Amino acid sequence: MRRTWETIRTGAWIGWQVEANWADPILFLAYAIAKPLATTMILFLMVRVVSQDAANAAAFHQLFIGNTFFLYVTEVLIGISWAVFRDREDYETLKYIYTAPIRFLPYLLGRGLTKIATASLGVAVALLFGATVLGVPLRLEGWHAAQLVGATVVGLVGSAWIGVALAGISLVVARHSMNLNEGLGGLFYLLSGAVFPIDVLPAWAQKISLSLPFTYWLELLRRILTGEPYSGVLGGTSDGALWLILGVSTIATIVGGYLWFGACEWFARARGLIDWKSNY
Amino acid sequence: MSDRYPSDLASVLRMNGAAILARASVRMVAAFRERSWMIGDTVFPVLVMATFVLVYRGLGAPPAYEAFVVLGGAMIAYWNNVLWSMASQFFWEKEQGQLQLYLITPVSRMSILLGMALGGMVMTTTRSVVIIAAGLLLFHIPLPLDRVPAALGLFTLTLASLYGLGMILSSVFFRWGREAWYTATLFQEPIYLLSGFYFPVSALGNVVATVAALVPITLGLDGIRQVLYGELAHGLLPVGWIPPILLVLLALYLFLAHRALTAMEELGKREGRLTIRGG
Repeated sequence: MRRTWETIRTGAWIGWQVEANWADPILFLAYAIAKPLATTMILFLMVRVVSQDAANAAAFHQLFIGNTFFLYVTEVLIGISWAVFRDREDYETLKYIYTAPIRFLPYLLGRGLTKIATASLGVAVALLFGATVLGVPLRLEGWHAAQLVGATVVGLVGSAWIGVALAGISLVVARHSMNLNEGLGGLFYLLSGAVFPIDVLPAWAQKISLSLPFTYWLELLRRILTGEPYSGVLGGTSDGALWLILGVSTIATIVGGYLWFGACEWFARARGLIDWKSNY
Repeated sequence: MSDRYPSDLASVLRMNGAAILARASVRMVAAFRERSWMIGDTVFPVLVMATFVLVYRGLGAPPAYEAFVVLGGAMIAYWNNVLWSMASQFFWEKEQGQLQLYLITPVSRMSILLGMALGGMVMTTTRSVVIIAAGLLLFHIPLPLDRVPAALGLFTLTLASLYGLGMILSSVFFRWGREAWYTATLFQEPIYLLSGFYFPVSALGNVVATVAALVPITLGLDGIRQVLYGELAHGLLPVGWIPPILLVLLALYLFLAHRALTAMEELGKREGRLTIRGG
């Protein structure tokens, strides 16, 4: 257990060096917050050019929350799977990790922690910007803050383990398949209703949306922060039911991600793919 | 020496023409060789475009706004191509040890970049066509066909200026190491915002939008929307002003690119930044 924790910590430290040691802190901060602030402003202006009435202001608040927290999904999910390609092909260190007396999975989770840290910075700045500059009312006092932290952690754990599952795929595919992982992020962005109510999706897409944990996660976060439900489709689902669905789906994701990663790892070792170099 | 490296104009033009064709063909072959890239370059941008179309649909906006997103999505493909496959290309080449091979050839760096641009345009146009086709077929966006030829003229001029800017950026990226990758990322979403890819750029206000117009795609997209949708596009400038401004930007950017590439190459050589450093 102690060695596992040390591996996670070392993975996080290496991840931090890879992410951040190319720039001074100011430039790195700009990098970390540029994307969330830019997408926030894009959505703000999209709402503003359509109309400026109160109904659309409320709609913007919901878009804002969904878009801001979805940053965790893209950063963590894609970041963990990207770490495999970086270590295997750019730095060519993956084979050394496998020859060291550690397991790769805790190391990978450590790399995920770095992504969580940088994404948290972006989310925090975006929330601050939204609340102070764009006037988004956020319920952050007392019990709501505790709920927010709890929901965020549960969602992050789920995202990280989907990232682990994708990392398993990354172990057995060539580097240029990375855009498939990135595309999956785009697919989740569309289907989870991060920036629109899933009610506007066609019926078949709504069914897929309702099978994704992110859909329930974002709905729960919106209710915690605004006190209002967003999606009409989930209007009849209580907060407690959302927590339950999110909890169960997260446990299922952990179990599924662990088994899937193990299978992919075995396949990669059996086929000699750990030191594969496929970039061209 | 003079037999191998002829200096008469016809030979120089022939040699640079061959370099342009060679670099363009590599890019085109690469674009169509790897099927996962084709999926990544066509299907996944459609997902992002669809997301932003549904934002407007969720807000009950007029269909023209959905068309703005589709056109913006098509133009984003070119911006990303300039950013990732042109501006930062010399960084990738440096990582793979090929930059020095370019530098020892007697062809102009601009010919190599022009080859990249032309090859990249072919690759990116397939992506843009898929995005627009998806907009038409899935979301039934309005597209007045009689105005398309004029819009295409403006589009061509926009691309020429845009790739001129890409050449300047590539000179800056010339000397960078790992920070090039992150800097390219920094230029992504903020430019989506400043160029008004998903909304009329006039919403940014005159001052910000005018600064943003230094990126040719800002004015080009604004003009294309005005040509196609008239007053609904909430244009930043009268549409008649846009072609001459883009022509001026094209000439200016090509001139600056030539100067910047020469200067940066010299500086890179003196500082030893044209190859990957160990340690």
